[in-house]
Amino acid sequence: MKIVNALMVIICSLAPLKNYGKASPVNGKQHPGNSVAGMVRIPGGSYRPFLHRKDQPAVIRVHSFLLDINAVTNEDFLAFVKANPKWARSKVSRLFADLSYLNQWTGDFEIGDDKIKHSPVTNISWFAANAYARWKGKRLPTQTEWEYAAAAPPISTKKNARLTRIILAWYDHPNPIILPHVQSTYKNTYGLYDMHGLIWEWVEDFNSINMGDDNTGGTNINSFSCAAGSLNSADKEDYAAFMRFAFRQGLQARYTIRSLGFRCAKDDATITNL
Amino acid sequence: MKTNRILLGLVTLALLSCHKKPATKTLPCCQKDGAVAGMASQPASGSTSIYQLTGTWTDQHGKQLTLNTLQGRPQIVAMIFTHCTSVCPRVVEEMKTIRDSLPAAFRNKVGGVLVSFDPDRDTPVQMRLFAKQRQLDEQWELLQGSADQVRELSMALNVRYQKLSGGDFSHSGNIFILDQAGNIVQVVDGLNGNVRNADSVLCRLLR
Repeated sequence: MKIVNALMVIICSLAPLKNYGKASPVNGKQHPGNSVAGMVRIPGGSYRPFLHRKDQPAVIRVHSFLLDINAVTNEDFLAFVKANPKWARSKVSRLFADLSYLNQWTGDFEIGDDKIKHSPVTNISWFAANAYARWKGKRLPTQTEWEYAAAAPPISTKKNARLTRIILAWYDHPNPIILPHVQSTYKNTYGLYDMHGLIWEWVEDFNSINMGDDNTGGTNINSFSCAAGSLNSADKEDYAAFMRFAFRQGLQARYTIRSLGFRCAKDDATITNL
Repeated sequence: MKTNRILLGLVTLALLSCHKKPATKTLPCCQKDGAVAGMASQPASGSTSIYQLTGTWTDQHGKQLTLNTLQGRPQIVAMIFTHCTSVCPRVVEEMKTIRDSLPAAFRNKVGGVLVSFDPDRDTPVQMRLFAKQRQLDEQWELLQGSADQVRELSMALNVRYQKLSGGDFSHSGNIFILDQAGNIVQVVDGLNGNVRNADSVLCRLLR
């Protein structure tokens, strides 16, 4: 049954495992001087937020930034815990992580199952993800940065592998018992792997979402109210985004969830020096 | 088929969200009584005290402090910004009402803490001005910290906020009652709060 679940994810994810370990940025606009190992430069641009308030601009400017090519893996995170034992499973403060923190591991400093060494680390709280990022000299991506980078289409061996189809296929399937490795789904045009289809990812400001019970005017959820009734292709994209925003809205920073991991970002040096 | 997908997706989401309790506005005040009884002066590893956050803040007098210097007495805490014209003035009035409703003997044993979302504009000078305008006595601390510290505290308190393009903030308006060790013992909706309930929680902490 476990194998079947894992297979289903791999099958629906359209890209084979063989690329593992050979991540290389494909974006021609990358400035080699700014690139950090394992990260890719995401060029600036504009982004139309899925959720926006009526009194706010409909299009946001996004500055260029660096983003990890892969989600942080169990092996990566183990190095952090070894260097910072207060983040070990038995030592972590309940303020910073709930009871299922890292419960896929067999001990404080043991992953146990080699099969998940290169899988994204999950059961990780926002506080733990944030602490890891700082330790690396990085930070978590903002929600805007993440959404902007994740909207890039896949480079896929299969023709017509549309992003929305990948996301919806992922939503359709139950979480695999053993999470596949990073780079097991697809690579997008920025050179980022698995932005959809493998895990949900923490963003720095997930708590900026406030659907509905906002005391100061409320947030306008673009066209969701009618999306369930009439689906054209634009609505499908809204639906995929709605799922992410609804998921984030339900989170608290100490929560740890089996399908929720993270990757790190960094300011683009050429921008901060301006 | 499309409908099926939607349904499946929603079920997935429901499962994910059932896994955790959604954000709640009000904690039952009796739920954390154990934490009150087992109060420690230093937060233990099992502690949920927000005084474990380590950043250095600046108060309205320009004094630097870490949150754990607030320990030792109950605190009434909210996150605000002084340029707010809608929610924050009401939240601050509600906090004052909570303190003023306490028996006189208890009033000065409870502190008030306002943490700004807006480090750029809420300097010590501005905070001092705000304290004067709102008639906040010397039992209040008005804190300015870095954007990262503000984000981290908002995470610990489960406060939701967003900086808007004009420089203002959209935010939830909750008031937090902290015990002497910095554990949240009650969350009051700053706009429709049950002040009497907060008072009885504070009285229990001080008795």
